Amino acid sequence: MTALLARPAAAVPRLRRDRRRWAWGLAALAAVCWSATGALDGVNPAGAAQFGAFAAAALSPALDGAFLGVLATAALVTVAYAVLGTALAVLLGALGAVAAARSTWGRRRLGRLATRGVLAVPRGLHEAVWGLLLVNVLGLDPWVGVLAIGLPYGAVTATVFGALLDEVPRGPYEALRAAGAGRLAAALYGLLPRAAGGLLSYACYRLECAVRSAVVLGLVGAGGLGYQLSLSFGSLRWPQVWSAVYALALLCLAADVAGRAVRRRLAAPRRRAGVLSRDRVLTAAVLGTLVAGAWSWWFLALSPASLVSARAREQAGFVLRAAWPPSADGDLLRSVAAAAVVTVQTSVLAVVLAAVGAVLVAGVAARPAGRCSPLRRLAGVLVRLGLLLLRAVPAPVWALVLLFVLLPGVLPGAVALGVYTLGVLGRLAAEAVEEADAGPRAALTALGAHPAGGWLYGVAPLVAGPVLAYALYRWEVTVRDTLLVGLLGAGGLGALLASELAAFDWPAVATVLTATVVLTLAVDLVGDRARRALR
Amino acid sequence: MAGRRALRSGSPVVPLLPRRAFLAGLTLATLTTGAASACGRSSPVGREAAGPGSLSVGAIPDQDPEVLQRLYGTVADSLSAALDLDVAYTPVTDYGAAVSLFRTGDLDLVWFGGLTGVQARLQTPGATTIAQRDVDADFHSVFVVQSATGLAASDDLRPLAGLRFTYGAETSTSGRLMPAWFLQQAGVDPQGFPGGPAFSGSHDATLQLVASGSYQAGVLNEQVWAARTAEGAVDPSVVAYARTPGYPDYHWLLGPRAADLAGPLRDFFTGLRADDPADAAVLDLFGAGSFVPARASDYDRIEQIGRELGLVT
Repeated sequence: MTALLARPAAAVPRLRRDRRRWAWGLAALAAVCWSATGALDGVNPAGAAQFGAFAAAALSPALDGAFLGVLATAALVTVAYAVLGTALAVLLGALGAVAAARSTWGRRRLGRLATRGVLAVPRGLHEAVWGLLLVNVLGLDPWVGVLAIGLPYGAVTATVFGALLDEVPRGPYEALRAAGAGRLAAALYGLLPRAAGGLLSYACYRLECAVRSAVVLGLVGAGGLGYQLSLSFGSLRWPQVWSAVYALALLCLAADVAGRAVRRRLAAPRRRAGVLSRDRVLTAAVLGTLVAGAWSWWFLALSPASLVSARAREQAGFVLRAAWPPSADGDLLRSVAAAAVVTVQTSVLAVVLAAVGAVLVAGVAARPAGRCSPLRRLAGVLVRLGLLLLRAVPAPVWALVLLFVLLPGVLPGAVALGVYTLGVLGRLAAEAVEEADAGPRAALTALGAHPAGGWLYGVAPLVAGPVLAYALYRWEVTVRDTLLVGLLGAGGLGALLASELAAFDWPAVATVLTATVVLTLAVDLVGDRARRALR
Repeated sequence: MAGRRALRSGSPVVPLLPRRAFLAGLTLATLTTGAASACGRSSPVGREAAGPGSLSVGAIPDQDPEVLQRLYGTVADSLSAALDLDVAYTPVTDYGAAVSLFRTGDLDLVWFGGLTGVQARLQTPGATTIAQRDVDADFHSVFVVQSATGLAASDDLRPLAGLRFTYGAETSTSGRLMPAWFLQQAGVDPQGFPGGPAFSGSHDATLQLVASGSYQAGVLNEQVWAARTAEGAVDPSVVAYARTPGYPDYHWLLGPRAADLAGPLRDFFTGLRADDPADAAVLDLFGAGSFVPARASDYDRIEQIGRELGLVT
């Protein structure tokens, strides 16, 4: 996420070969080849009929009134989860930012490392896993959805908010401190105002992501659109599944468009006659969000009492007592290790597929800067809509339908996640293309270069860095997402978790979850190092 | 106004909102929320009825959710009329969720499979087994194969060992537990198929996956197989291979919160008569001739097999 905010500025070109990058490049190549060996399963053309039934239903979604009514209520639940989940995340993030900021700790590296470790636990688990665990403690309660989004997002938000606070010039803060202000007052008046734009912009971005997460949560039974989707999916009613997917795509589109508009206005405040003036749209957005928060609270009928009710305490006690100590059984550890390998292979393949796909479509998906033909415009709109649908169909649905045409193994899961990630990465790559310096390409075109040549030599080198950085960032997200597609023949830690949860073997569940957190943390660290080598 | 004030104070940043508007908005939001919480609105995701005199009914999602909704809508109306209770049906997304929600007390009366019923009963002190259908004491599963394998119907399960194989849901009695047990009895490792067995999640998904050829064999509930065959909904490339011996399956389980309803509920279910049109509607939806009383000990064998296969801990 930080990558979104800290877009690499137009770097000064260094014309020497970077040894570090070579090492990372070779290591990446080796990782991809190794992962590909796990996926030599091949395709199953005979299953085209079943896949066709899924694809054909896209043109005939279920549109009967009763079902649409159900979907509308479900969509409201999803929105309410997203809004309150984000609100909680921002609250937790604001509190945690102080602990996560580098400047709080100064040279005491141990403290910062400890904070980082603590924050890694909530964010190392997928929202859906949080949802599953919370359903076991709180039962059917709207808090499940709100907490499952708020806790992991809160940890990510704290990290990013901390980084944003670190980047603010410290002059005003030091001056206030020197003038005798307390730490809190100095931070509130010296640091906060300068960081406010970045913080708001990031909160907005989180809200967009939360809509998608709220849907995934439904898949584990927490209510909302994903819940309806999974009920229809369970009986393979493709027309209904598509109706839910379209509803989802609409929600994602609304969140994307609104979020982008607000973030763009925050990044470039309006000036009237050289003076900063209040932006009515932003005022309306902030007021609207506050009202939406209150409405969500009312709509979900959240009751803080149910968090500390006797039942919640009793169930939490039951689960914790059952899960402690985590199982250290040799057989289990061996299957955890094998599953972790499959998970890494799946995630590497998925990200490579998505990155290659994103580079291929980025040129068409980007909104052209100048005037262009209607045909080009139409192609752009179609590709962008396609990408939206790719990320609106949840990964588990992709996994099942791909299993019709791919033989079981690593491949169906990798392609399912790859297709889903392509939806996300394609959009980011297109944005990178839009923001790239148009100069080199214009110069090449003016010199008579073919459009394709102009793109290859004028645009591709500029966006390669950012796209690779996004891909590395998505790798960590994909590792967490593999937990979702593991439910089918796709294997990996997800399959293991599903079978331990089905048997209610809590000690084993605790072990698998620990392994997941450690794996996510490791991938995060490797990705972070690789991104640094790219800068 | 505020802009000018900000300029005077020398701040380069204009506050996003006038302070008064912000405070007014905040107060309004707090008041609305407070008022809303005060009026005790019921949540669209929580349980609908929670007081005494209410009963929330659930079922493992072994069938089409729409069929379940219709089925349990009818059951809820019928129960509500007979016992003078508020009865609401809550759909769940997977077998494990049905067990968890029974434990947390969100579901009072659940139509469980053999294995999920055992899991739920062991996790929930005070749970009572109420009734089963006449067909449940002797339930069967059907192994199906893709016709391309060239296998003809047989009682020998060993040829299945070399095929890509899918079960149904992970804790389904008819789609996982008992087939795995009978495979083990026949000398086939129930976890040992090429690439490991898959869990399709439902009986219908099993049929589709075997029809596609991604999996060459699978196993499902005999009732679902018979129903889909009668509807003509089974792809001709999927053929029956073997039928398992009988075992006890589905039953109604009642949670501790509504324990005093055990007697009336048992009387209600066992009192359903096929010659009464209203009762017949319920029995017909369940595919049963009648309900008979059931005891926890009827499922001892399921529990023991569950422990042996590591599905009951």
